[in-house]
Amino acid sequence: MLLMTVARQGLCLSRSQFGVLYRHAVPMGTTAKEEMNKFWAKNTQLNRPVSPHVSIYKWSIPMMMSISHRGTGVALSSGISAFALAALVLPESYPYYLDLIHSMTFGPQFLAFSKFALAFPVAYHTFNGIRHLAWDLGKGFKIPEVYRSGYIVIALTVLTSIGLAAM
Amino acid sequence: MAALVRLSSVCHRGVSPLLFRSSSLIRPLAVQKKDRDCPYLITAKIHATPSNYAGSGSKAASLHWTGERILSVVLLGLAPVAYYYPVPAVDYTLAAALTLHGHWGLGQVLTDYVHGDFKIKMANAGLFLLSTVTFAGLCYFNYHDVGICKAVALLWSK
Repeated sequence: MLLMTVARQGLCLSRSQFGVLYRHAVPMGTTAKEEMNKFWAKNTQLNRPVSPHVSIYKWSIPMMMSISHRGTGVALSSGISAFALAALVLPESYPYYLDLIHSMTFGPQFLAFSKFALAFPVAYHTFNGIRHLAWDLGKGFKIPEVYRSGYIVIALTVLTSIGLAAM
Repeated sequence: MAALVRLSSVCHRGVSPLLFRSSSLIRPLAVQKKDRDCPYLITAKIHATPSNYAGSGSKAASLHWTGERILSVVLLGLAPVAYYYPVPAVDYTLAAALTLHGHWGLGQVLTDYVHGDFKIKMANAGLFLLSTVTFAGLCYFNYHDVGICKAVALLWSK
């Protein structure tokens, strides 16, 4: 009996004598986006509190790396936008301001540290981005693989940032 | 098999979960007990793939996703090109790729955290403005100043 049921495949609308009926499969009339908006509208309107999630769930390396990917992305994007805005607004040219900063520097360590501070988010976002692209191809979802690729990303980030800061 | 697990967790009457057979495309989202005894009447509401239905779905979201990944790969390839060939063509390509990648990335962040029709619209309008100004500023920098590649080179030279 077990073998019989396991062997059968495909869409089944059977009224088996075992009493389990699968009658209806109707497509919903609303889109996923509409459903999500309805959820938020209803729950905010009812002033429902949200259960604690990020504050109580134990943080893991994959979780921290995921939010860091978003964090570095937002930070880098903001940096680029700030740079572009400055280019439009400031009167002098780039070499002028660069020399201005260099005349104010507090030593070679400051320069090396600034390079490291700039290179680090770029390197992290890039390497973790490659990890994301691998996931998009369907690879590396097993939990040990997730951790392993995560550690490789962190190691590559640190090494690359140090290497770039030394240039 | 996830459907089987779900059913067995709901049905405590000892009905063997192996008896529930379903197509891999359809997953029941809700199980209703018609009466206290077996048989259970299960009505499932599903989100069906639009490909079966004429004109009821669009591929826009899917194409956007693919576009995001392709752009990421392009940007990845641009990095070594920018290092070895710091020419204006690369400067402008970098400006476009960086701006668009950031625009789409921030768009995903807004989609995740901003809710409500009006707020979503306002947030996206603000983002569009920011990205436009960013691209304009980068192009201005490329044209009137040293350009992105040279700027990075200068920054690193000291």
